Amino acid sequence: MPEQAQRRAGSPAPEEKRGSNDNALEELRHIIISPEQEQIVEIRSRIENPERRVEDVSSVVAEAIQMRREQGDAAALSAALAPTVQEALHESVRKDPHVLADALFPVMGPAIRKSITETLRSMIESFNEALEHSMSVRGIQWRIEALRTGRPFAEIVLIHSLLFRVEQVFLIHRETGLALNHVTGESVATQDPSIVAGMLSAIQQFVRDSFASPQQESLNSLTVGGLEIWVEEGPHAVIAAVIRGHAPADYQVALKEAVEDIEGRFGAALARFQGDTGPFRAADARLQALLITQRRERSSSARKPWRAIAAGALVLGLAVGWISHEGYQSYRWSRFVSFLTRRPGIVVTSYGKSGGRWHVRGFRDPSATDPTADLARYSLNPDKADLQFAPFYSLDDAIVASRATNLLTPPSGVKLTDHAGTLAATGTAPSDWIAKLNERGPLIPGVVSLDTTQLRDIEVVSVEAAVITFPLGQVRLEPGEERVIARTAADLNAIRRYAERTNQTAIVSIIGHTDSSGIEGANQVLSNQRAAAVAAMLAANGISKEAIMARGVGTAQPLRTEDGEEARRLNRSVTFRVTLAPVATVP
Amino acid sequence: MLGSFSVGKTSLVRRFVESIFDEKYQTTIGVKVDKKITRAGGEPVTLVLWDIYGEDVFQKMRMTYLRGMSGYLLVVDPTRNQTLDDALALQARVQEAMGPIPWILILNKCDLMTEWEIDAARIGALERNGQSVIRTSAKTGEGVEQAFSGLARAVLNSPA
Repeated sequence: MPEQAQRRAGSPAPEEKRGSNDNALEELRHIIISPEQEQIVEIRSRIENPERRVEDVSSVVAEAIQMRREQGDAAALSAALAPTVQEALHESVRKDPHVLADALFPVMGPAIRKSITETLRSMIESFNEALEHSMSVRGIQWRIEALRTGRPFAEIVLIHSLLFRVEQVFLIHRETGLALNHVTGESVATQDPSIVAGMLSAIQQFVRDSFASPQQESLNSLTVGGLEIWVEEGPHAVIAAVIRGHAPADYQVALKEAVEDIEGRFGAALARFQGDTGPFRAADARLQALLITQRRERSSSARKPWRAIAAGALVLGLAVGWISHEGYQSYRWSRFVSFLTRRPGIVVTSYGKSGGRWHVRGFRDPSATDPTADLARYSLNPDKADLQFAPFYSLDDAIVASRATNLLTPPSGVKLTDHAGTLAATGTAPSDWIAKLNERGPLIPGVVSLDTTQLRDIEVVSVEAAVITFPLGQVRLEPGEERVIARTAADLNAIRRYAERTNQTAIVSIIGHTDSSGIEGANQVLSNQRAAAVAAMLAANGISKEAIMARGVGTAQPLRTEDGEEARRLNRSVTFRVTLAPVATVP
Repeated sequence: MLGSFSVGKTSLVRRFVESIFDEKYQTTIGVKVDKKITRAGGEPVTLVLWDIYGEDVFQKMRMTYLRGMSGYLLVVDPTRNQTLDDALALQARVQEAMGPIPWILILNKCDLMTEWEIDAARIGALERNGQSVIRTSAKTGEGVEQAFSGLARAVLNSPA
């Protein structure tokens, strides 16, 4: 401080002798101040000249940064430098990528090697697995499957090996070991995620301490029975996936990507994590994505149930088909049997199925229809039918009638019916057949009595239909009427023979008629004469007189209402009535 | 939960989490993690409890287990004077590794008060220095709730 002291001591002098001593003062001043002024100029130039300032800062910049870090304020320094450094890196890559590539080369080499090692390791794992499977019982099963389906064995192994399911995914804060988020698959039993996350972190740290390797490598997977826990670590976050079965190696890549993604999105939140897990709920979707089982696995699992469903449906279909076929068969058989029981002349005593054939037992009248012929009506296979019917005589009306028809062979104009044992014949039949009916009918099984009231003798019909005409007022026949006499005589002979066979007598009434012309008394006489004339002619033709009763009825029973000459002609005639009566037995 | 072997760390956790006490001694191997939701300052707090194996002459505690720790209970068995010395030595190591984080000195087995051999003056000195000291019994449950909720409060109040 000598300069200052001097200045203080001499300070009043310049003010008192300003005018005269100006030059001297200036000189003195120059002497005194000059060194300082030079310094000021020098300092000024250092401040104002950018080149000089750069020179000054450059000499201390490294030390300044060092000091700032030592002051424990590295975060602020990093924050200040980060944008510049980032921009600088961008710029450097833009200008010449080789510079950074060269610089990073020593880092990238090991990183790539590690990645390749990882890939190879998982490849070897699956290869080992394949080898192992090929030796086991399961392997043999798979070989058979490969042979059966015609697919390569490797593919079969792959399909089965890839069956896995990611049951739970934990997002863990690496520093504290606290669970940040936890997602689970459907219907998975879980433990408290905080405890699991804590234990996983503890295990991780234990492994790291116990088997510490220089690279600070960590535990990648744990295996507990059928469960595998895969762990993927980032700088702040850890993802642990609980997997049932064997996940493919590329799942590890999915975990890696998820960690990177979460580190990127939640980096800040992870760094200042203080126990509030709220912000990490936003990672739900990203973690859920890890629960999805792999596509190949999914497609195989999707295919599998379909195959099973198809097989099940086929079996079910066949079963339903068989059951309904059997049911339908059984239904048709019951219909057939019920049809048989309704058939006249058939009695079913039992039916059922055994040994794949249907058996029907019972009785059948020989006149009843053959049941075998009816199988076709119910679409039943005769080869599967065993029909056994014992013969018997049925008293069923239709069967009795049928039996009588078979035995009696009635002429075409006759119909036989039976009602509770009474065999009725209707129509017209020759007397010979009627005689046969009367003889044999009652002997037919099932026939108790005969009803012939509706049965007419064909000769009787013929006789009673005959009309012998006469000219007006005469007893002589009209020409040609002799043929009618001859035919009637033949019929009457047949009737007589029949009557004799059946123990009856046939009485022939010969009835004379006249037309309404002439007087009533004369007509009666004329009709009597005409009847007598015909009776005589029949006697001449061999008909016994005892069986003949001739009478005239005049105009009392005209054949026709007289509305013309033809009616009158027919009314001038003789007609016949035949009466059969049992012969009175002589006591 | 830090402290020497057989001071009752696991028993305290079981009493706190499950309200169970078992006379049988089971040594902890490695770490057992447990969880309990308690209340501190009127709000629910989830405590994730790392019950770390007790130190003995054969096993020093691994500091890596303490990573991310927010606070700890330093458990002492007052019937064994040595456990207090060991605990304080351990505390110094923890503080060195983790920095100043909240902790509470737990004098367990207060149901066996008659057998205590610990020097009351040392405890008094610690308390006068502002150190929280809580007397507990995992057997009777005395002080257990206060110990854990006290730690939760201390952690919440400590600067992050």
